[in-house]
Amino acid sequence: MKKVLLLLTLAIVLLSAVSMHGMETKFKMELWNRYTADIVDRTIEESQFALKRGYFRLEPEFTDNIKGRFNLDFFSDEDGLDGAGLKLKYAYLDFNKLLPIPESKVTFGLMKNYFGTIYTWDYTTIDKDPSDKYKVISSTDYGLGYYALIPGGFGEYSLQMSNGEGYKKTGGDVDINPAFIGNLRVIPIPGITVGGSVYYTQKGLLNSDELLTAGDTTVMAAAGLAKISFGPLSLIGEYLMKNIDSDGAYAYMGMGSFSMGKISGFDMDIVARYDKSDPDKDTADDGSQMILGGINYYILRASKNSPAVWLQANYSRTMYEDATIDDVDEIALQLRWVFSHTIN
Amino acid sequence: MKKFFSIFMGIIAVTGIIFAGQITITGSTTVFPIAQKAAEVFMNANPEINISLRGGGSGVGIAALINGQADIANASRPMKTKEMKLARENGINVVENVVARDGLAIAVNPSNNIDKITMEQMKGIYTGEINNWSELGGESMPIVVISRDYSSGTFEVFKKLVLEGAKVSDNALLLASNKAVQTTVADTPGAIGYIGIGYLDETVKALKLNGVFPSIETVNNETYKLARPLFMYTNGQPSGDLGQFMEFIFSQQGQTIVEEVGYIPLN
Repeated sequence: MKKVLLLLTLAIVLLSAVSMHGMETKFKMELWNRYTADIVDRTIEESQFALKRGYFRLEPEFTDNIKGRFNLDFFSDEDGLDGAGLKLKYAYLDFNKLLPIPESKVTFGLMKNYFGTIYTWDYTTIDKDPSDKYKVISSTDYGLGYYALIPGGFGEYSLQMSNGEGYKKTGGDVDINPAFIGNLRVIPIPGITVGGSVYYTQKGLLNSDELLTAGDTTVMAAAGLAKISFGPLSLIGEYLMKNIDSDGAYAYMGMGSFSMGKISGFDMDIVARYDKSDPDKDTADDGSQMILGGINYYILRASKNSPAVWLQANYSRTMYEDATIDDVDEIALQLRWVFSHTIN
Repeated sequence: MKKFFSIFMGIIAVTGIIFAGQITITGSTTVFPIAQKAAEVFMNANPEINISLRGGGSGVGIAALINGQADIANASRPMKTKEMKLARENGINVVENVVARDGLAIAVNPSNNIDKITMEQMKGIYTGEINNWSELGGESMPIVVISRDYSSGTFEVFKKLVLEGAKVSDNALLLASNKAVQTTVADTPGAIGYIGIGYLDETVKALKLNGVFPSIETVNNETYKLARPLFMYTNGQPSGDLGQFMEFIFSQQGQTIVEEVGYIPLN
């Protein structure tokens, strides 16, 4: 029944978009067919084929100043309807020129979290963005946001208020206290981008009774990033931290840093990545490091700037501080394919 | 680390040698005739330099410059802040070169007895509120609305100046180049389109807009309101072969070419 309802909803959304007079709607589908093999001591411990992610996206443009995005994600390697998990990832409207500030927009709904590198992460490596991977902050959340470009192309900034718990929690599971995110990226000279983001939420902000039961009263996360791009080479580094503060003391402190490089040319990227994670500064031997190397080979392009079919191949080795945990080598191959169309 | 750096610098040096003498130009179909004629004359005088030229529209050209796939992005609209930001992120130091000016002419089939139109009427036609030439005092004939496609800089300028941001009617036929609009209007009795004045010839009839005929004189004296600058965007101040070509465009000879292909020279 759920499946029927879902398909019906999708059909209605699609048909509505097509039939709305004078409205331009872009639809897009992207799929990631992935094979992964985890190897410990030269023995394959796990081997899996999966549709790691697929998404269906609709982007209606009601007017020049009101645009929307609706995104459903599918996963074959998670529990769900008939073998595929389903998540609502984006459902928001952008209002341009709502405020008398040039190049600004106000966003309302299930939207991107403008934090660190997570909102511009394009999966140059198969692995997730570090904020996502190390559970610093979710990639999307329900909220209200303001975003603006700095005139002259010198960067961007944003402010958001959201639930603070990502897109997976719904209904009564959602904390009623808001979370706040501030983000700034500056490009002082072409090719060099620096930026930072801050996330803050406090239990009891709206209801002080919560303090009696809440384990963690304040969560604060921060990200600092630097990116260098010249010709075919781009390097990016990010430093992340997260404090969960109970009774005024740090109960938990997480840190992570990563750097990634890419050299592009001849329809191929060569990529490398290094992650270092220490989830709890007060706990010994809980950290890990990961090194990754790989290629992206573009098989087919929809246009010169838009790949349509491409192959990603990554090899990574994750090394744990805890000597009782074996290092893990992972080979991941992923075929990504995307198609889109605009209906006028 | 030193070894890696040496290899990297070596790759850049070899790449530089391979691509010396090659200039790639992409973008606006409006600017295309200027670039094409200028490239022909320039290559005749400089046979060691090869210029490859493509259209595609202003948005396509700007994207190619941002991705390092073009040396010059032809554009009939200014770059957007979002594009400037992307370019700077990618290490592209965008330099805006205004190479000419242009008027957007409103063109109809020569058989049409209408001679003039207003901005308001144009907006009505392109948003689908006016559908028959009889509503403008012409013959009873359905209006065939021809527009440029959405990646076109000409479309964006038209949308901003005439439509004031409103949507083009679903019934409009979207075409990919000035030439396509010109030939379609020439072949279709009820058609109306907008093209750079460089594309005006005897096969189409230009209408007076708010009482002013589109011409070099009326664009220059700013009485014709549907006018815009034309751009060639480069990564940094052009130097070497690219610098030579841009100097040529700005030279007396280059600006004569601008005039020859129907656009308005800078001086």
